[in-house]
Amino acid sequence: MQPILKVNLSTRESSDFIIPAEWERDYLGGASLGARLLYSTLLKDLDPYGPEAPLLFLNGPLSGTSGPTVGRFVVCGKSPATNLWAESNCGGFWGPELRFCGYDGLWITGRAKEPIFLWLQDNLLEFRDANAVWGKDTYESQSIIKTELSISGTHVLTIGPAGENGIKFAGLYCDHGRSAGRTGLGAVAGAKNLKAIALKGTKKIPLAQPEIFGPIRSASNHFLKDDTITQVVHELGTAGVADYADYLGGTPKKYFHQGVFEGVDKVSGSAMAETILVGVSACHACVVACGRVVRLEDGQKRKGPEYETLIGFGPNLLNDDMPLIVRLGEICDREGMDTISASNVIGLAYHLFQKGVISENDIGFPLNWGDMSGVSRLLQLTARREGIGNILAEGSRQFGAHFGAEDEAVQVNGLEVPYHDPRGVSGMALVYATSPRGACHNKSDYFLVDWGQADTSLGLQFFERHAGAEKAANVALHQNWRSLCDALVLCLFGNVPAEMVAGLVNAACGYDYKVNDLLRIGERAWTLKRAINIRLGLTRENDNLPKALLEPLPDGPTAGYVPPIEEMLTAYYNSRGWDSESGKPTPSKLSELGMEWIINDIWNR
Amino acid sequence: MAIKFPSPEWLQALNDKLNTDTHYAQIAKTWEGDMIVIIEPSGPLLEKQYYYLDLWHGTCRKTEIMKTLPAIMPKFVLTATYANISRIMKGELDPMSAMLTRKLQVHGSMAYMMRNVPTVLDFVRCAREVTTEILE
Repeated sequence: MQPILKVNLSTRESSDFIIPAEWERDYLGGASLGARLLYSTLLKDLDPYGPEAPLLFLNGPLSGTSGPTVGRFVVCGKSPATNLWAESNCGGFWGPELRFCGYDGLWITGRAKEPIFLWLQDNLLEFRDANAVWGKDTYESQSIIKTELSISGTHVLTIGPAGENGIKFAGLYCDHGRSAGRTGLGAVAGAKNLKAIALKGTKKIPLAQPEIFGPIRSASNHFLKDDTITQVVHELGTAGVADYADYLGGTPKKYFHQGVFEGVDKVSGSAMAETILVGVSACHACVVACGRVVRLEDGQKRKGPEYETLIGFGPNLLNDDMPLIVRLGEICDREGMDTISASNVIGLAYHLFQKGVISENDIGFPLNWGDMSGVSRLLQLTARREGIGNILAEGSRQFGAHFGAEDEAVQVNGLEVPYHDPRGVSGMALVYATSPRGACHNKSDYFLVDWGQADTSLGLQFFERHAGAEKAANVALHQNWRSLCDALVLCLFGNVPAEMVAGLVNAACGYDYKVNDLLRIGERAWTLKRAINIRLGLTRENDNLPKALLEPLPDGPTAGYVPPIEEMLTAYYNSRGWDSESGKPTPSKLSELGMEWIINDIWNR
Repeated sequence: MAIKFPSPEWLQALNDKLNTDTHYAQIAKTWEGDMIVIIEPSGPLLEKQYYYLDLWHGTCRKTEIMKTLPAIMPKFVLTATYANISRIMKGELDPMSAMLTRKLQVHGSMAYMMRNVPTVLDFVRCAREVTTEILE
């Protein structure tokens, strides 16, 4: 791999960090390598907003090539929302551009005295004054910085006002509205007075065996083009699955408390395609092109919502007004806030208002289900920490706790639950309960496996969507594979056979890995993130689901069902070789994975 | 009488089933569109087969075994090997799983397909119910 550029914002010093070869071999890159690099730093007393807190941007060994869905990068650190391991990956073109600069990562510490942005042109780093863009939204900031730099092809990653104001679910944004939205790392950048990072590179992506890589890359892209999921996502966006998700009862409504919503047919990728869709957009070298371009009544083209935004500001709030969803998503993108967390915490506010826990005195106006008139105002108050927004900005767990109702918040370990209800697809119960960054649907998109996308070449089996403990080992296996994808920072919509992925990795890096070796690399990283979280205070009790997801829905396709989470967890620990009482990886499992070096840390020996 | 899949008798039996099944009539009442199922040879099936069905508002207006693809393409083209399609008929392979794992390729409007997954699943139920024997 290429070096990582280490930058200290306090001292304005920078240096190249050479990744140890054995770490490349054992973790490959992306979030997995990030966990290894940050292992010794991420300790309990580390303040995520402190100058010593790291913000580590990483690519994978396939990033920026012409391979399938390889345009993403990841940012890692300690989450201010969860105080646990944080990672969030992002599409667009910024990640590949970093590799074109000759770096596979950026490792930022320190705190600038004044707002700055970094300008990296190949290996030339400049610290630039960002006072002119501080307070500007993410779209304006990208535009102003690009104008200032005046070099065609420059890509800018920026925070918005939410990041500047320390909103716990602030993200980082590039290439218009592509976002690293989850876990609040935009707020970590804001605490560092780091507004943006602009990149322009001219170098070539290193490949160990380009003559072998080329044909596999070509075949995998052709394969991907013919894939059914690709066709659905290309034609309908990620929200193309909304109709089927709803049919199976996997689409949350009324903040996870209702199984049926009359207007649901108006809120899907199909509905978007039939009404406001005017185009698509793609990340670097991607044949899927899941991005939506829509046109609203003002005639202006805008980014259209993906699945999470559509459901979060749609059925989750009992709203079927698609143009309004588009506008609410745009507010989040411009202010620099994650749409999952933002729509979740607003859903909680509605829920608590209806329960009488909070009142108009707290909010300033009523929050009645179906009345969406206050949502855009709540988002803007949140981004600026004004009024009730100052409490919403802390995320669902803290918002609930503030009003004595923490257990009403639909979150796990401080990260808000995405919109794949485990009562519709039970595998997501384990996924949410055990994800290393709090409730997350990307550490394993197991809902697709529960729908039938069981790749037998990985050893996955198909279990009925309401099966219980018997699918625990299958979930763990899928997590291991997705952990490998996170090492490569592969988009989850790159539905390419595992053998092809192995071929690409080997040709890019010069290894001779088989699929089982890749799964082991995935398992190693998953286990390492678990170890980091244990050192940060995570215990067996943290592996759980919020109250709402353990109560049966009154109606709809999953009425009466709740996932048997305790039985599933016991089977899960057994399948992983983890101690079922403490939830810790056992010393023998750690040894098996070549991780003896952390046994003492997590077993206090 | 045994209804063996695939055969002209099987296609006729499916036609009859789709026109008499009240559940299918209800769930597919808004479906508008014809399709061709292409069965790629594998195992005991030696030649590619093209089964055409014109489905309309919960009924089947026409079926035909074709020798090749028609000049005017139908709304959907579904393609699978005989091995995979026989597993679907025997209930060993879930039709959505087949679509999501490339065992059943679908060409046509994905918006329409995703809107009408329940109709597709009920169509497969009908196909399974008329199948009493599989070419082995």
